[in-house]
Amino acid sequence: MAAAAQLTDEELFSELRRFGFSPGPVTESTRPVYLKKLKKLREDERAGARGGANKTRNSNNNNTGAGAAPGGGGGGGGGAGRAAPGAVARLAGAEHPYLPGAAAGSSRSRAAPPAGGSKVLLGFSSDESDVEASPRSQAGAGGRRERASALFRGLRPAAPHGAGGVSNSPPPEAARRKPSAWWGAAARRPAAASAGAQAPGSREPGDGEEEGGEEEDEDEDEEEEEGGGEQQQWKNRTVNGNRLLSFGSRDKYSDSEEEEAGARAKQQVPKEESAVRRPRRSLSKSPAPFTASKCAAAGAGMMETGQERAGGVCGAGVVVTNDRAAAEAAAAGSLDRGRNHEEEEAAAAMGGGGGCEELDSSPPTPRYRIGLSKKSPTVLLLPAPLTDMDSSKITDPPGTIRKATNNHVLSGAAASYNVESRIYSATNSLPLGGTSSLRLNHSNHTGSNHTYLKNTYKKNLSEPEEELLQQFKREEVSTTGGFSAHYLSMFLLTAACLFFLILGFTYLRMRGSGVAEDVEVNIKHPFSGKLQKIQEDEISLMMNSLYALHDKLAQVAGEHECGSSNQRNLTVQEAAAYLKNLDPEYESVLNTSLQWILNSGEDVGIKCLSNDPNEINVTNVTNVKYLESTSPKMSFRCRFRRAFVNITHRLSILLLGVAMVWGVLHYMKYRWAKEEEETRQMYDMVVKIIDVLRSHSEACSENKDLQPYMPIPHVRDSLIPPQDRKKMRKVWNRAVDFLAVNESRVRTETRRIGGAEFLVWKWMQPSAACDKILVIPSKVWQGQAFHLDRRNSPPNSLTPCLKIRNMFDPVMEIGDHWHLAIQEAILEKCSDNDGIVHIAVDKNSREESW
Amino acid sequence: MSSTSQKHRDFVAEPMGEKPVGTLAGIGDVLGKKLEEKGFDKAYVVLGQFLVLKKDEELFREWLKDTCGANAKQSRDCSGCLREWCDAFL
Repeated sequence: MAAAAQLTDEELFSELRRFGFSPGPVTESTRPVYLKKLKKLREDERAGARGGANKTRNSNNNNTGAGAAPGGGGGGGGGAGRAAPGAVARLAGAEHPYLPGAAAGSSRSRAAPPAGGSKVLLGFSSDESDVEASPRSQAGAGGRRERASALFRGLRPAAPHGAGGVSNSPPPEAARRKPSAWWGAAARRPAAASAGAQAPGSREPGDGEEEGGEEEDEDEDEEEEEGGGEQQQWKNRTVNGNRLLSFGSRDKYSDSEEEEAGARAKQQVPKEESAVRRPRRSLSKSPAPFTASKCAAAGAGMMETGQERAGGVCGAGVVVTNDRAAAEAAAAGSLDRGRNHEEEEAAAAMGGGGGCEELDSSPPTPRYRIGLSKKSPTVLLLPAPLTDMDSSKITDPPGTIRKATNNHVLSGAAASYNVESRIYSATNSLPLGGTSSLRLNHSNHTGSNHTYLKNTYKKNLSEPEEELLQQFKREEVSTTGGFSAHYLSMFLLTAACLFFLILGFTYLRMRGSGVAEDVEVNIKHPFSGKLQKIQEDEISLMMNSLYALHDKLAQVAGEHECGSSNQRNLTVQEAAAYLKNLDPEYESVLNTSLQWILNSGEDVGIKCLSNDPNEINVTNVTNVKYLESTSPKMSFRCRFRRAFVNITHRLSILLLGVAMVWGVLHYMKYRWAKEEEETRQMYDMVVKIIDVLRSHSEACSENKDLQPYMPIPHVRDSLIPPQDRKKMRKVWNRAVDFLAVNESRVRTETRRIGGAEFLVWKWMQPSAACDKILVIPSKVWQGQAFHLDRRNSPPNSLTPCLKIRNMFDPVMEIGDHWHLAIQEAILEKCSDNDGIVHIAVDKNSREESW
Repeated sequence: MSSTSQKHRDFVAEPMGEKPVGTLAGIGDVLGKKLEEKGFDKAYVVLGQFLVLKKDEELFREWLKDTCGANAKQSRDCSGCLREWCDAFL
């Protein structure tokens, strides 16, 4: 290698080219940078196993992101491949030969996954449901990513090589195995290699996923949770971002050596499966092999038999993947077997929340472990909601159950996310996989699986639902405090209402009885003054009789008032008879008392009437014919009713009055507005007329043939369209009058045109230079400020809101609805927009906002 | 937008025209002076360098570090700013 310092520009250029990096012009300023880059690339090439290529990879990712896709991808791919730790050496060795060969397509594909990976990483972290998982996974994912990318690289080269690349695939497989060895997975390399070699072509779409799966495959025979988990997580991330994880199925394939058809069900691997796998890392991947074996028949991808041993892959996830893979794979026998195993596992899972033991019972799946969900609680319910995938249903229940038992907190949040991701991956996997294989699977397992699946699924569904419900119940419990507050306020309100009601009743009752006391007072009082000649006992007798009489009369009057009787008063005879009933002595004092009543000019509660009830009574006792109570005593209910009716009447009258006043005001406002409108129209018309006249006079000054005056009717007809003429007649007349009176530049005169007399207008003002200035600057669209194309408008608007200023001057605006006019103008101009959610005109300020 | 500075936003919002190099995000007074001494007195010259490096942010950052001694954050801000500007206007 030539010393960097002695390279000429061309040599530097070609050296960089050799590494697959496409440099720009090497000039004075760029030379040092490119030299450094060359150094770095050489170091990376030599170092290989060193993990220092992280930066390179990142930078390569950056590069790809920056747009130098091929170069960046190539460089990134190379760098990433080299950066892979552990197996990197082998991998690099394996990959490097492929690098040049797979330049265009692979570089592109390589570029995409790293970019996708990084992007996926970002997207993943921004995912709410996985926000907790992502930091954790990110921490550990760095190394993983390298490995994954390395694997990815290894995979990619293998992929393009297609069927003929069987020989190629073993090395990549071996390389991939390396990482699995890293994880501590036992290597089922041969199987995996053969599996891997199978169908690289079909792997293309699922390559991204495959990568993830491959890595998982590497975890074969390993129950390392951390490694597997993180790997899984990373893979999940990638997968979630991009595509289904087909590799997951590959992992499973590796285990099932018997199957070894090499079918790869990567396409089927849904993202969720990888995500599922993440939390369920502890679960063994043994089911995966089954699925893998199943998929082998489909010939979809490479069979990574025995690769999934690493404990990272959650058993359930794997099972799911297997299921999916199975669904897609066309292998009948292997599929059945795998399915059976999965069923067993599912059954085991269903049996008990943490029943890993049962799962472990299945021979090929010794590694099912339940202790997963520690890593990513969010993914806990991931496998659960898979509804559409019949094959996955089996795996879902187990995973769900396990997760449910472990994580309750995030069940709600994760469930929805999981469902979506699952469904998405399910749908993704479906198209990817062969429909024929799917049908095959269905036919194979319809009978036994469906009912079982349904049951398990339903159970699973209830589980997450239950968890959700529990969550909600907890929330409800927490809100009882609020409820009590609510009740308290209601109670207070009710108490206040009751209090006032009772007060009212008491008042009403008091009113009735209060009068009696007044009467007593009244009666007592005059006695002290007058009628001293009557003796004491007579006085008391009289008083008693009067009381009784008063009560009776009040009763009668009350009945009359309440409408039950039609007589308000009692005749004297009746009164006498009543009193006699009460007490014989009363009768004797009746006349005295009546006399006294008459003498006392005050209202004692008993009114004496003569024959004619309306006549004001006389002093003569003999004339008294009727006795009437002035304070009728009514029953409580009657009184209440009367009071209520009274109040209602008064209230209604009040309301009526208010309504009338309001109506009058409104009408006045309306009229006033109408007048304003008319005035505005009139002014508009005047302005238009002036414009017309002015332009006409200018035309006349240029063209001497025209008459300098314009008949008024002609102007009107030219300004007002025929259908409006009748409407605008009033306005027009006012305008004409206005012009006649106020406008000095226009003179009204009479001319004879064509034999008829016409009132004409003549524009008086000589057209001078200053006249060109329009009086009222017309507010028209002045055109676009600059040409609107992609260059001038940022792809993403910086803000969802826009404030437009100085569109109007609130002081100067005339008319009622100018703000509407402005809004319409803006909307008209922005009609090509995606949609304006809200527009508002701030009338008070000089600006406008929306 | 949450993680970009006001300077960044201001720069990316419109064509740079004849803006001085100090208006680039991450380029303050000191760095701006150094760049001007080297001949990069306007933002478009720095843009030119960025384009010559084929819009490779990593390389551009290296170059910036070598040229005016920008630290990682400053160079990151500058390269991000230029990249966004290019996305919007190029």
